[in-house]
Amino acid sequence: MPEQQVSVDVRALAQCLDDAWENRAPIAPLTESDGLTVEDAYAVQSAWTELRLGKGEGIVGRKIGLTSKGMQEQMGVDEPDYGSLWASRYFPAKGGRVELPTDTFVEPRLEGEIAFLIGRPLSGPSVTPQEVLAATEALAVAVEVVDSRVVDWRIKLADTIADNASYGGFVLGPWSRSLRQEDLRTLGMLIHHNGSTVVEGVGAAALGGPARAVAWLARKLHSFGVALAPGDFVLSGSLGRAVPANRGDIFVLEAHGQPPLTVAFG
Amino acid sequence: MRPEGEVGALLERVREARTERRVTRKGDVAVDLDDAYGVQAALGEGRELKGYKLGLLSPAKQQQMGVDAPIHGRVYPEMLLESPVSLGQFVQPRFEPELAAVLKDDVPPGATPGAALLAVGGVFLAIDLLDSIWEGYDFRITDVVADNASGGGFLLGEKLADLPVEGELRLYLDGELLAEGPLDVLGDPGEKLAWLAEEVGGLKAGQVVFLGSPVAAQAVRPGTLELHGPNGSVLIAKLEG
Repeated sequence: MPEQQVSVDVRALAQCLDDAWENRAPIAPLTESDGLTVEDAYAVQSAWTELRLGKGEGIVGRKIGLTSKGMQEQMGVDEPDYGSLWASRYFPAKGGRVELPTDTFVEPRLEGEIAFLIGRPLSGPSVTPQEVLAATEALAVAVEVVDSRVVDWRIKLADTIADNASYGGFVLGPWSRSLRQEDLRTLGMLIHHNGSTVVEGVGAAALGGPARAVAWLARKLHSFGVALAPGDFVLSGSLGRAVPANRGDIFVLEAHGQPPLTVAFG
Repeated sequence: MRPEGEVGALLERVREARTERRVTRKGDVAVDLDDAYGVQAALGEGRELKGYKLGLLSPAKQQQMGVDAPIHGRVYPEMLLESPVSLGQFVQPRFEPELAAVLKDDVPPGATPGAALLAVGGVFLAIDLLDSIWEGYDFRITDVVADNASGGGFLLGEKLADLPVEGELRLYLDGELLAEGPLDVLGDPGEKLAWLAEEVGGLKAGQVVFLGSPVAAQAVRPGTLELHGPNGSVLIAKLEG
């Protein structure tokens, strides 16, 4: 990241967030006391990631947040944000099922998304959705658990950016090459919560289409001198609303033409 | 003979007409094809290159213009448009239904057609919104090449297809079928990409190449555009005045 004029103690805030992450003890919104700007917030996110990497954490990709019009309006912003996918919170599914340890999270919510497996380096100031698809090796249905180290999800834009864009963890369905040839904008997705359908989502809900969201990410990362690399996972944004998750909940995610993905909170 | 001066004069003429968005009469300066490509390149100096468009793909069109190969124009980021598209930004817009290939790997000069095919990450429906400064599209080959091969703007579909793609393109404006044509008349994309890579000194991963149209350019007006292609693919856009 370029040298920036930063008005806050980036390392201290990163440490605060890490304590909250480790101890599952949420903190007050950073924006309430520290006058955090968006630029500061990405610097905090970066510092926190460095801190975690120092503790043996890995980065397996990126996640895009605030991709729906509704969320953007609610936050008073007109662009998405992003965070890193930390390896310690990647929960591989077996036979389309996975149990997540509820007490790992602070206040988890579940989202249904499309995940990209990046196959070619992807970077530049004008990356298009078509370039994203051409550089994509495969796609998968994904469950993202979003979580907040800020108490009661009382977040403004800079809070969620500093808080690794409210990353909690994720689960992937099987990678599919044929999904590359589907129109991802029209891909429908349902989330069932304890047997009831609670979300009816569609690809276009993520910034007009999942590939558009990934193109935004590639351009945004480029402005920080970072590129998407072969092997990166990218969670491209929620296709519907986020659903609060509690111990004992069972979620089943169904997407057109894909096997279902079951996530239980144990 | 003042070749430098003639090339410079053509460059100024194209640049002025493009900047002022007005038509101009067919050039009276005589430059060769290499110089015309030099003018085209000079017009885009310092801009990020997103790819190329191919033109004059049919032997009939080539014969008409006195050449025996296609021509190419350059594509810059601001030429990749999204709906709604304002036609007011163009001088003399026309449009063509096309396919575009997006590369996932570089294609070096000298690549075989097969190697070029392997570098394609996917193809997409596309609309080529042509534009020309030459009044009534009345130009010589060097005029059109200098004027960036009538490059105006482009729209791209968002559904990827892997090659080979078979079927046809159908272009509608306000529900009226304007043109339809089979994709196989476009020939082998691998051969065209290999030819282009040789022409321009290599293609880069991420670049888009507009592969040409199976039908003649159509007059364009404001309205609802639909382009239907193979496997249920569709590109929808609003064209505004």
